[in-house]
Amino acid sequence: MPLSHTPAHAAPSQTSSPARATSGKLPQTPASGGAVPVLEVRHIEKVYGSRQNVTRALNDVSFAVNQGEFVGIMGASGSGKSTLLNCVSTIDAVTSGEVLVGGVDVTRMKTAKLTRFRREQLGFIFQDSNLLDTLTARENIALPLTISRVPAKEVLRRVDEVAGRLGIRENLDKYPYQMSGGQQQRVAAARALVTDPTIIMADEPTGALDSKNARLLLESFEAMNERLSATVLMVTHDSFAASYTHRVLFIRDGRIFTELRRGAASRQEFFERIMQVVAMMGGEGSDAL
Amino acid sequence: MLCKIAWGNVRRAGRDYLVYLLTLTLAVTVFYAFNTISIQVDLAGVAAENAGVGDLLGGIISGLTVFLAFVMGFLMVYANNFIMKRRKKEFGLYQVLGMSRGQVARIMALETLIVSGGALVLGVLLGIALSQLMVFFTASLFKTQIADFHFFFSVGAFMTTVGCLVAIFLVTLVFNLRVVARARVIDLMSAGRQNEVVHTRNPWVSAAVFAVGLAMIVVAYVRLLSDGLPYDGSPEGMTAFLITTATVVVGTILFFFGLSGFLLKALQSAHGLYWRGLNMVTLRQLAAKVNTVSFSMAMISMILFLAITAVTTGMSLASVMNESVERGTPVDYTATLIYFSPQSVDEMNADAASWDEPVRYAAADGPVDVMKAFEADTFMEGEREGEHFDLASIAGDYLQVDCYESTPRGATKPLIALDELCRRVDLPLPKGVDDSSAASMGLLVMSASSYNAYLAFRGMPQVDFGSDGYTVLSDMGEAVNKVYNAVLGEGLELELGGCTLRPVQDRVNEDASTFANSMMGMNSGIVVIPDDLLATLDLPPYNSYLLVDYADGVSVAEGDDYVAEPRLYGDITNAAGEVVAGHGVEATRTSTYESVDSMNGLISYLAIYIGFVLVVACAAILTIQQLSGVADAGRNYRILAELGTSKREISHSVLVQQSIFFVFPLAVGIAHSCVALSVIIELVTLFGGMSIGGTVGFTALIFVVAYGGYFLVTYLMSRGMVAEFVRTR
Repeated sequence: MPLSHTPAHAAPSQTSSPARATSGKLPQTPASGGAVPVLEVRHIEKVYGSRQNVTRALNDVSFAVNQGEFVGIMGASGSGKSTLLNCVSTIDAVTSGEVLVGGVDVTRMKTAKLTRFRREQLGFIFQDSNLLDTLTARENIALPLTISRVPAKEVLRRVDEVAGRLGIRENLDKYPYQMSGGQQQRVAAARALVTDPTIIMADEPTGALDSKNARLLLESFEAMNERLSATVLMVTHDSFAASYTHRVLFIRDGRIFTELRRGAASRQEFFERIMQVVAMMGGEGSDAL
Repeated sequence: MLCKIAWGNVRRAGRDYLVYLLTLTLAVTVFYAFNTISIQVDLAGVAAENAGVGDLLGGIISGLTVFLAFVMGFLMVYANNFIMKRRKKEFGLYQVLGMSRGQVARIMALETLIVSGGALVLGVLLGIALSQLMVFFTASLFKTQIADFHFFFSVGAFMTTVGCLVAIFLVTLVFNLRVVARARVIDLMSAGRQNEVVHTRNPWVSAAVFAVGLAMIVVAYVRLLSDGLPYDGSPEGMTAFLITTATVVVGTILFFFGLSGFLLKALQSAHGLYWRGLNMVTLRQLAAKVNTVSFSMAMISMILFLAITAVTTGMSLASVMNESVERGTPVDYTATLIYFSPQSVDEMNADAASWDEPVRYAAADGPVDVMKAFEADTFMEGEREGEHFDLASIAGDYLQVDCYESTPRGATKPLIALDELCRRVDLPLPKGVDDSSAASMGLLVMSASSYNAYLAFRGMPQVDFGSDGYTVLSDMGEAVNKVYNAVLGEGLELELGGCTLRPVQDRVNEDASTFANSMMGMNSGIVVIPDDLLATLDLPPYNSYLLVDYADGVSVAEGDDYVAEPRLYGDITNAAGEVVAGHGVEATRTSTYESVDSMNGLISYLAIYIGFVLVVACAAILTIQQLSGVADAGRNYRILAELGTSKREISHSVLVQQSIFFVFPLAVGIAHSCVALSVIIELVTLFGGMSIGGTVGFTALIFVVAYGGYFLVTYLMSRGMVAEFVRTR
């Protein structure tokens, strides 16, 4: 994208009407309620390309996620939402700004330390389940633990426990190719959860699933969040998926366009409010949403 | 346009093509360099001493090159299949974009042409350089001096190399075109997207297969060790040997088929080890590849086995000759006469009766004077043409030694036979003579005075035989001497002509048992007995040795020239004018040394050539498989990195996998070789001791460097690939 930010500059003026629906539009401030933020993103920028042809994928993005929160990030293709997740999850490096996870700035970490940090603090779930095709489900879930040299007994106990919570115990000895897409995603979710990470990053987890399996997976996420009080940050372009979260950040042209909080609303009501914002964001984005 | 695409593809698929290019280049280099052998032999001054060695070697090597080109051709087809498999989608895309199959095929042909052409240019340049260097190596192998070194290029070798490369190119091309022609677009397009279906077998079944394979290998080892090689060529022996061979081949295949399953099962039962770090990933990766790779691993271990065994045996034979040549050349010149046996004379006379100029043959009453007998010879050409052969004119000290058969005239059975001696000392017949007529053939007999004269001639202490002493002489090495040493050591008594003989020595003196210049031992057993007893036995003469040192005024070169001059052999007759003996081998010390050197050079040369090409071919297959395996597992490695595995740990897992793939075939090959060699050594010891060292060690080093080099390249390239997969920021 060239340097001109016409759509981005136009955005704030258009938020006037949905602003009534949102509970606040101050991304810099930690979320209310006195809760501790486990993730703080401060003024991050991500710039691609050479001097002649610069693409600003992220432009001064700031937000915070509290302990036990389930946050969604929505945006059209190319809006920068995946780049945001990659930067936050340390898979990609930011051009400027800070990303604090549990109070530690990950943007300045060296590779070796980062590897360890990623292993211990983060859990990942991707669009394609990203399971190792040579391992069984049990081994896939166990992988993050064995990499961290957790004793074998403890590994097997924790794998069994997580699998039980997500209802995939009967699939533990199957290989990925023997499972459906939904089952694979739930194994991936179990793998993300098994290390008891500070925050779980999910990138379009329902993207490759049919609606039934998507619903099952999202319910698993809800369960993870409510019963295991896992903190989840989920990128999606699916309003239905987003309606399962507590809060949705809308990204457009590398900036946070607006934010919706679910509050006490039912999932159905929240879904409708999300749809309104999506419709309002309109233009090129709507067809992709 | 097609050229541009092809060139782009070669550059883009550089890594895949790199190994292909490397191996082909290496093959071309070796083909060219070794095929210049006849020129090298000239330059190294070998031909001057041994006319014909160069041509002989050249002939064998060009034959071998054709065989090795076949091996390389197979390898290239294999390597190429890997590249093709990975690029199916790309070829599908070309067709979807509207290219005809013909055009796609042409792109592929051009790619192969570019790579083959590159390999040809690089390989020939390297080959030219290598062949110049090899002249020095050749000279040292053949122990000659380089007379006139100059740069050379062999058109013949170049043409042979190009021919082989073209053949390889054509074969590869045919296979490639088949891939394109057969594939449907839909398959090509979805090739990359299809889920990797992991073919896993029940680990218990795999472990069982592994156990069966191992058992079969052990059975084959035991069979080979107890049966030995089928020296005699009897149908039962050959059948048994074939069964053993089949058992070891099938066993090896099963071994590799079950290997990963076995390792998996073994480690899974050790919980602490399996659920630790990347161990389970490493094992599962291995197990996933087993279907595609186990067969080639088995084949590679068999090829390595052949290479190791052939090279070691060949070079050991060479070193045996080297060591025994000093003992085998007691004097400047030796000649042998062989007397006609009473049994064969009648038959020979019957044959001769129909000739235009009938010759009468007869069994000799006693030995003839060899020196005198040679005077009947006349020179056939050169400045001495027509002159009689006057050995006395160049001879200084000389000695004639006569041997007798141990079967008396009129008798049918020998008085002393090897099989009987073996039975009496309770030892098996030496390998290689068992079940053959050699066993029941009698030993030769020599008089004590003859032997003491020989000892005096050689400047060795005399042996007192008294009236009933005997000893045994042999220079054939440990296999036979084991029996004789037992006979002498146990003080075995021999009953001969009513006389009881007792040994006067307790072991065979091998250093005083050689009567003719020879590369290897020729005397398989002579019993020395008192003169008086010999006179009463009525034994027919068997042969007479003449041992000559040149006179003081005659240089070795002059003497050698004189006896090497072609001459017409005169008849060796008795007083009645009947022919009683024929000429046997004549040899100078110099010519014996030279034939050892050129035989050594010949064997070493061939061994290194075959061994090197085979080892490189095996290593290249492993490299290609491993690199493509790493590429296929790229997604898995990226996931591991995302889960927080360090690059070091992933590389370590790759290293473990590749070590298993490289080390196991080599280890099995070496194990097979050790067993086979232990049997072969028994055979080789018939011709004198066998030692493994020196040149063999050097050759082993070259092979280890080549094999290890491929391993290193594989690992380093894999590490680079892993780094690319896991690069996160």
